Amino acid sequence: IATFLGRKLQPRPQNEVEETLKRIQGQKGVQGIIIVNAEGIPIKTTLDNSSTVQYAGLIHQLVMKARSTVRDIDPQNDLTFLRVRSKKNEIMIAPDKDYFLIVIQNPSD
Amino acid sequence: VDYVRSVDYLMYGLICVVLAPPAAVFRTLQWDTDPSALQLQADSELGRRMHRLGASKIVQIDFVPKELVTYTKETQTPSAAHQSEEEEEDEESSELKASPQTDQPEEEGEAEDSKEAHPRELTEEEREQILHSEDFLVFFERSVSVVERALAEEGDIFFDYSGRDLEDKEGDMQGGSNLSFNRVFHDDHWSKHRVVTCLDWSPQYPELMVASYNSNEDAPHEPDGIALVWNMKFKKTTPEYTFHCQSSVMSVGQIVLWDNRSHRRTPVQRTPLSAAAHTHPVYCVNVVGTQNANNLITVSTDGKMCSWSLDMLSQPQESMELVYNKSKPVAVTGMAFPAGDVNNYVVGSEEGMVYSASRHGSKAGIAEMFEGHQGPVTGISCHNAVGTVDFSHLFITSSFDWTVKLWSIKHNKPLYSFEDNADYVYDVSWSPVHPALFASVDGMGRLDLWNLNNDTEVPTASVTIEGACALNRVRWASGGREVAVGDSEGRVWIYDVGELAVPHPEDWSHFARTLVEIRANRGDGEEEGAVELPA
Repeated sequence: IATFLGRKLQPRPQNEVEETLKRIQGQKGVQGIIIVNAEGIPIKTTLDNSSTVQYAGLIHQLVMKARSTVRDIDPQNDLTFLRVRSKKNEIMIAPDKDYFLIVIQNPSD
Repeated sequence: VDYVRSVDYLMYGLICVVLAPPAAVFRTLQWDTDPSALQLQADSELGRRMHRLGASKIVQIDFVPKELVTYTKETQTPSAAHQSEEEEEDEESSELKASPQTDQPEEEGEAEDSKEAHPRELTEEEREQILHSEDFLVFFERSVSVVERALAEEGDIFFDYSGRDLEDKEGDMQGGSNLSFNRVFHDDHWSKHRVVTCLDWSPQYPELMVASYNSNEDAPHEPDGIALVWNMKFKKTTPEYTFHCQSSVMSVGQIVLWDNRSHRRTPVQRTPLSAAAHTHPVYCVNVVGTQNANNLITVSTDGKMCSWSLDMLSQPQESMELVYNKSKPVAVTGMAFPAGDVNNYVVGSEEGMVYSASRHGSKAGIAEMFEGHQGPVTGISCHNAVGTVDFSHLFITSSFDWTVKLWSIKHNKPLYSFEDNADYVYDVSWSPVHPALFASVDGMGRLDLWNLNNDTEVPTASVTIEGACALNRVRWASGGREVAVGDSEGRVWIYDVGELAVPHPEDWSHFARTLVEIRANRGDGEEEGAVELPA
């Protein structure tokens, strides 16, 4: 049973996934959304091929490192969210056991 | 047409209780035996069929991954966290962590010793499969919620100044420094074309509020009754939670209970359609009592009052008919309990009369009648700002007769009538913190704040909400610094109340003096027939 904050989750039906992605993509400054699986292989993306692959690979490594950092400091802790803020944009990563959701945003847009 | 009428936000966990008045059509309901179905199926005489949720055609954005040169590096020491030894290399910006089970594609151009090359890509079927899997959808829903909150937050940490205006502040949106527009909650999908029927703030999380909406006439396939939980704290513009129920079953008044803790979108409990419960629209719901010992009180328009235990909605704990003077039952439109009272309450009726009643005791039922309004009573609110003077005997009512009236439970005629409106007044609400302050909303889109210590003839602050047609509901946030206003178009407007909202210790004694003045000026018309009622 999947839980988040102790609540059992009911999955959103598939046809809402598309709409939700479109909605997020339409929000202020959002440049792209990528969903990758635990192996770093992209499942869904709104960017072009090469960018997707680049982001997926690099971010996957970064998340692994961040996650292990958190766990090393406290084995009972775990990574829940990662934000990489840079001069030009911000990358937000919501990692899960099996998937990551990556959103790239330029907040000043 | 059925709709969600009223909602109450309870303490533990988060339970929204929603009532739905009936439609003219009685429809049979069958429960969908598939527990994962999100909505109930209902046959309808009108031939409306519920949409069965299913996968729709997805536009796949496809791509072919480039041939990647990859390598794997085994971890030296297995541990709970997949940690590997990091070796910084000058040319490399990062190192790959190997996961024991699979190989990982690496960033192209960063060629290392290539032990194996595994540019594993997913086939169309694999991708489809993943996107349809429950695991993925659960992950997706959660992550999207979190990311949306993060997206709405801006990088304030990098700015030296807070020059960002959070929302547009157009001139006509403002009501002066006392009443200023904060934000509006609206969901294009869920709240469009629906009337806000009720609002309530969470007692547990002051930034959360729930709004209930009636049915969307333009979208007959959408659920009839929905409730959305909005979050004031974060700037994201989508609701935190969405609840719906196909209230087409509600040809008679029913009560449904959603439990936010279970994260289901459909009700977890509902009251039965039986003569023991309500057989008429339920317009009022109130939870009285403490967190541990409480009851749900509901009253329907046929004058039936039921008391329920939230653990068991299969039948009411007690019920009684509200009858005045042994004649016909009262058609109740609103109900309010004074602060701290679980037994005595006041109700407003369709005929314009207000009644006091009690749940228990030798005189259980309707006690006194309060005459004054010349049209149906739309809203009723008991004084609940606690302070040095006890004003818990006061309550205010709003009505179709364009007035708001101030009453004391001790007099059967109004203490005062506020006549500044030019349309039906739809709701009225005392401030939870300021003893002399209340808010009212009317059909012309006006939100008024009356500070009786300041002026009793005109509102102290007022704003006409541009773009709103009629305002249906007004509720103060628990801190008394914001008001939420629901309109007839499915929008919930949040207004900040400035210094006006902040009570000072002398406001209580000031209000006591104001009341004395009000009584003294009560005018001859009001005096006729006024009776001092036994305490």
